[in-house]
Amino acid sequence: MRRTMLRIHRPAAALGVLVGLAGSIGGALAQVDTAPVEGLRENTPGLIALRHARLVVKPGQVVEDGTLVMRDGVIVSAGSGAAPADALEIDLAGKTVFAGFVDAQTDYAQVADPAPPASQPPIAMPFSPTPQQGARHWNSKVRPERDVAQQLKPDAKKAETLRKLGFTTVLSAPDKGIFRGQSALVALGESTRANDVLIKPQVAQHLAFELSRFPANEYPGSLMGAIALMRQTFYDTRWQHDRLAWQAKHRDAERLEANLALDALEAPLAGRQPVLFATEDELDYARVLALGAEFKLKLILGGNGYEYREVARIKNAGVPVVVPLAYPEAPAVEDPERALDVGLAELEHWEWAPFNARVLAEAGVPFAITSAGLKKPEEQFWANLRKAVASGLDEQFALAALTVQPATMLGAADKLGTLEPGKLAQIVVADADLFRSDKARIYETWIDGKRYAVASVDTPDPRGVWNLTWRGVNGPASIEIGGDLPDLTAKAGDKSFPVSVGDRRLSLYPPGELVGVKRERLAVVLSLTADGVEGRGQIDGAREFQVSGKLATAKPRVADAAKAKPALPSRERRYPYGEFGRLAPPPAQNLVVRHATIWTQGPQGKLEDADIAVANGKIVAVGKGVKAPAGAVEIDGRGKHVAPGIIDTHSHMAVAKGVNEGSHAVTSEVRIGDALDPTDISIYRVLAGGTTSAQLLHGSANPIGGQSQIIKMRWGADADGLRFENAPPTIKFALGENVKQSNWGDTFTKRYPQTRMGVEQIDLDTFLAAQEYGEALAKQGKSGEPVRRDLRLETVWEILQKKRFVHIHSYRQDEILAFARLAQRFGIVPVFQHILEGYKVADVLAKLGAGASGFTDWWAYKMEVADAIPYNGALMAKQGVVASFNSDSDELSRRLNTEAAKAIKYGDLSEVEAFNFVTMNAAKNLRIDQRVGSLEAGKDADFAIWNASPLSSLAMPEQTYVDGRKYFDRNDDLAERARIETERERLIGKILPERVKALAKKDDKKDKKDDGAKPQFAGSHDGGVTTADLVHFATLRGPYHDGEPVNTCSAQEAH
Amino acid sequence: MKTLLIAVLAALAGSVHAADKPVVLAGADLYTVSHGVIPRGELLIEGGKIAALGAKVDAPAGAERIDLSGKRIYPGYLAANSNMGLTEVDAVRATVDQAEVGAVNPNARALVAVDADSELLPVARANGVLSVLVVPQAGDDGLLTGQSALIKLDGWTWEEMSLKEPVGVHLAWPSTRVPPWLPREAQEKAAEAAKKKLGEIDQAFRDARAYRAAKGAGKKDLRWEAMIPVLDGKTPLFVHADNAVQIREALEFSRREQLRIVLVGGVDAWRFADTLKARDVPVILGSSHNLPLRRWEAYDTIYANAGKLAKAGVRFAIANDAQGSSNERNLPYQAASYAAFGLGAENALRAITLSPAEILGVADRLGSLDAGKDATLFVANGDALEDATQVERAWIQGREVNMANKQTRLYEKYQRKYEGKPRD
Repeated sequence: MRRTMLRIHRPAAALGVLVGLAGSIGGALAQVDTAPVEGLRENTPGLIALRHARLVVKPGQVVEDGTLVMRDGVIVSAGSGAAPADALEIDLAGKTVFAGFVDAQTDYAQVADPAPPASQPPIAMPFSPTPQQGARHWNSKVRPERDVAQQLKPDAKKAETLRKLGFTTVLSAPDKGIFRGQSALVALGESTRANDVLIKPQVAQHLAFELSRFPANEYPGSLMGAIALMRQTFYDTRWQHDRLAWQAKHRDAERLEANLALDALEAPLAGRQPVLFATEDELDYARVLALGAEFKLKLILGGNGYEYREVARIKNAGVPVVVPLAYPEAPAVEDPERALDVGLAELEHWEWAPFNARVLAEAGVPFAITSAGLKKPEEQFWANLRKAVASGLDEQFALAALTVQPATMLGAADKLGTLEPGKLAQIVVADADLFRSDKARIYETWIDGKRYAVASVDTPDPRGVWNLTWRGVNGPASIEIGGDLPDLTAKAGDKSFPVSVGDRRLSLYPPGELVGVKRERLAVVLSLTADGVEGRGQIDGAREFQVSGKLATAKPRVADAAKAKPALPSRERRYPYGEFGRLAPPPAQNLVVRHATIWTQGPQGKLEDADIAVANGKIVAVGKGVKAPAGAVEIDGRGKHVAPGIIDTHSHMAVAKGVNEGSHAVTSEVRIGDALDPTDISIYRVLAGGTTSAQLLHGSANPIGGQSQIIKMRWGADADGLRFENAPPTIKFALGENVKQSNWGDTFTKRYPQTRMGVEQIDLDTFLAAQEYGEALAKQGKSGEPVRRDLRLETVWEILQKKRFVHIHSYRQDEILAFARLAQRFGIVPVFQHILEGYKVADVLAKLGAGASGFTDWWAYKMEVADAIPYNGALMAKQGVVASFNSDSDELSRRLNTEAAKAIKYGDLSEVEAFNFVTMNAAKNLRIDQRVGSLEAGKDADFAIWNASPLSSLAMPEQTYVDGRKYFDRNDDLAERARIETERERLIGKILPERVKALAKKDDKKDKKDDGAKPQFAGSHDGGVTTADLVHFATLRGPYHDGEPVNTCSAQEAH
Repeated sequence: MKTLLIAVLAALAGSVHAADKPVVLAGADLYTVSHGVIPRGELLIEGGKIAALGAKVDAPAGAERIDLSGKRIYPGYLAANSNMGLTEVDAVRATVDQAEVGAVNPNARALVAVDADSELLPVARANGVLSVLVVPQAGDDGLLTGQSALIKLDGWTWEEMSLKEPVGVHLAWPSTRVPPWLPREAQEKAAEAAKKKLGEIDQAFRDARAYRAAKGAGKKDLRWEAMIPVLDGKTPLFVHADNAVQIREALEFSRREQLRIVLVGGVDAWRFADTLKARDVPVILGSSHNLPLRRWEAYDTIYANAGKLAKAGVRFAIANDAQGSSNERNLPYQAASYAAFGLGAENALRAITLSPAEILGVADRLGSLDAGKDATLFVANGDALEDATQVERAWIQGREVNMANKQTRLYEKYQRKYEGKPRD
């Protein structure tokens, strides 16, 4: 096989022409087989030396004119030494050799998932677990036991596509479910025998927040449900482990059921197997990291392109990331009216996306780059990667992200990632400027010592000045070939003509006159070798002529030089990104407001011409002539009203991807706090209405919903920063039409309960179950038998222990009374939410000590609100019930002050009593009245400065403070609007040319994109979008939305 | 001709119930809307009309005198975009008659489906909403939804309640605006649906014109018959359009078709203020109690809308969003939120009284306290734009109406419970 004809001497650099065929070199299979040999044995020697190449041994380590020696598919050496005498030598002068690229996120070589069994619940049916075959988990989205390596089906065509991009090994990752299963590292050789290509099985366990979507009604149907299911499953795994150990010592114990899913999770839970956790948006990182910390997982983040926004968090967690290169298309800004619908955060992302990898690199976050997420990787992968490099990503980092990084994070650094001895002979032969120039090419890849040509290296580069000798015709004695491959042109004097090259041939197409024949043009095909060209042709169908030539002066392609690093789009980093984001939290400032009307809502009542002093985030004094704290800013409050921050006891703002886990009747394990969306613009908007705290509740789709989250409106903080510290935990329960699915449509008639009778019984049954759970926990110490941690019952047990408080959605007096009696029986004191007929049983509520948090005047939209009256609040208050008004609406939440005024109109309460409905009474109902709700020394400095009485419909807050920090200021807001307008105009101006170009291209070929699994879209009769659609698909709504009302009671859904 | 007859009959019916005895409302501040406030003035009601008003009026002998010292008198609110009477319990289909099936229903009359005994009407009336434009709503496919009617909230039947019918033919302009997070399929379907609907609108107007051109030569078509007054410019076309794309398309359409339109909704109307002014297109704004359409817009974008229209000189009224008849009573507070952010209280009050009367063509009868107009007014114990203020009494065409309603009855009933009295 070692033939001199393969030797190509310098300086004649070879060129590449796409040939797409596997080469014939290195035929030896690199694996030691176990299968019997059929026919003759193959024993082609496997010792190969690649010579005179520029070897990039690993990022930052380059050997010019090096020699790479491989034997039987394994790298023996990579350095400047000579080739072993017995090696097959291949001259790669002028070429650069990289370690083969690894893609850490593909679906390569997977068989399609079997279709769901016919027993799949039809549309809108109640929950019924889809049985999985085998001893598996009850939930069909939990299938960690799935092992891709068991089902590999190498796909020669797809492998070739990936090889052309330089990939030699990919991670074949399962992509369906919540616990998706285990991935395999697979080489991209042409063998379709899984044994040949499997490099490593069970590489990682794959997780994702996958929800069932309307109209499927399988658990989980919300992000918080998915998180709860993950936690429960990990706890089950731990418990199974402990229980089996205990069982081994107690031979008479009841045998534990078999569960392959939990078996499969032992390794990741013990840190033996990494967990590659897919994310959908920038808020998912924190959620994933929290799970990782809770269960001490060895995490790899599956990125989504927004990592630059959360780089500090990712860096601090020390977790590697697999980063996609899918940049957003230019937003639709060509129509000014439609462009209004594109937000600033979205415009900014268009500009920032190519800088994502650079930001990670500069922050020192280890990351791999994947082609996943690209619609046309063969066109986009290198274009986008080079765009990242052009945006300042260091080429060494780009190389590492395709080699060392994925190899390391997937536990295959001993086999892949560099050209060091002992590694698998997986290499890429390319131009030196592969990472920066669109003209650079990949010539071939080697996998396990076998060569796969992408472009031929055997054909020399013909560019340069040629001396030609013609016999039989009078051709030009000298031509110069130039241009970019594959579009070459030859020049002879003042004439030029096309030239093509490939397959070791050079073809000239000169006009007839140039060679003195009467023909428009003729074709002269020449054999091309390192020594020159030689060939013949025929004219007039008879006369033969000969041509030969030598390359006098070679002018091969010169690699592009590295470009200067551009500046980042902005040095400012706001949170949230885009409109109204904050550069930093507002400073904590000692201050005193003087000569204002102060609504203390405490024992001091309403004070005229009074002062309030704030220090270190707390109120230190309220009264006349108070002493200013050290360094206090003085605010002239003349003509102003200072009032406590408004507290909204019922809100669904700032919750991502579902406020209802409405699949099961009892879902006390889900936590609103797991799904917080700190980018929700509602937070900022309610600040502008003087609201500073809110209870974010689960919806009312089921009798026992999820755990609530009380927040402060610290706009600009992350999810954790929003939480109201040490607020007593609460939970949402619900009664009436929503939980019995009265208004869900005719198909929802099967889930228990369907009547108020059933609602009462399921609450009772759950309380009893929780009691039994609590008793079992108490007994655990005696028998030593590990009790399964049941997050659902554990939460209810907290209620019974008075560690968690029930907020129960209620309308009619019968259901209110029924739950009041249950509450009495279990010794709990709930707060009734909505409680529209509370006025009918106010005496019962007062006796129970229950709180009441209602709407002011909503009524008539469904049957159970037929008897709702706006006098409800006042009537209950007069009976001694702590009554408050809430919004249940992101719109109403910003003007609860005027709702309070309605308690004067309807029921003749005093001003202070009425305002208590949205301040002090609301605080009491949330059991946070020691901290907020009134302006008293020692309380949190949460307040607003109004330009008029806060009870006036004409009043507006001028400033709103949380913890003594000014989170809203109308003047700052006006300045921010101007900035937003300017930024929008700048970005739209920048995007327009690209968008117009993209549109022209789109018109050319109507490209139908497939977004994969399509949720079933209900729509109106003619396809228009209805309010119901917004509600049904609210679980698709990620961060940075417009704040459309999808999460309100009035949306006729269950909230 | 027929509709004219009904209007005449309705007017007659109204007068039958008007109080015969003259009444002087004395001592209250008169918020005339048309000519400022008359402090501690007097207002004479006679024959269902405001006969006179001023610091003092010459009351005929035998006139009843009602002392309203310390109170305020306002012209009744006119709710200019409502489904009042067409729906009782939104979630119960049997009680909802607001949207006819199909896209083209210009002949549908809201008036004939108004339930005079709806529990919702007295609740609205109790807060000063005394006249209501009842508007046929768009179903999923609805475009030309029907004809609206102006009613007073008093009368035994819809016939007696009617003040003017038809007021306009209503067109729900299709929207392509879909949140970007909805499935792509939804985006595409919505775009296709809107495109199809735009074609249907064009077709409907072509067909209607063809029908008019035929001058009744062929068989009757109720739909196109109802369109003739619109094409003749005698009845305005009320185009319901909220976002900028809808408004732009609606304005283009009305210019192309040479139609007299009223824009209803108009969330983005302020972006077109100069155009609306130049073309004298009046606007019936929707509720201020809505969120900005877009994340990047200022929190007060909607609140500031009315003030910007006022500044540009656009004729406009403030109304509800036509889906909230159970809380039509909150109309003044919706006006107040516009008032607080640039419109001012005086303009806000006008926008729910005289301005809608002008736009609906009934300013000769309603909208202000002026001699000769209907005595349709109410008494409040304070600034009527304030939530805390209580509306105490009201007159409709000179007849004092009962302020009790289902809600006050329940309130009284359960007060009795806590006073230890037996259930009735």
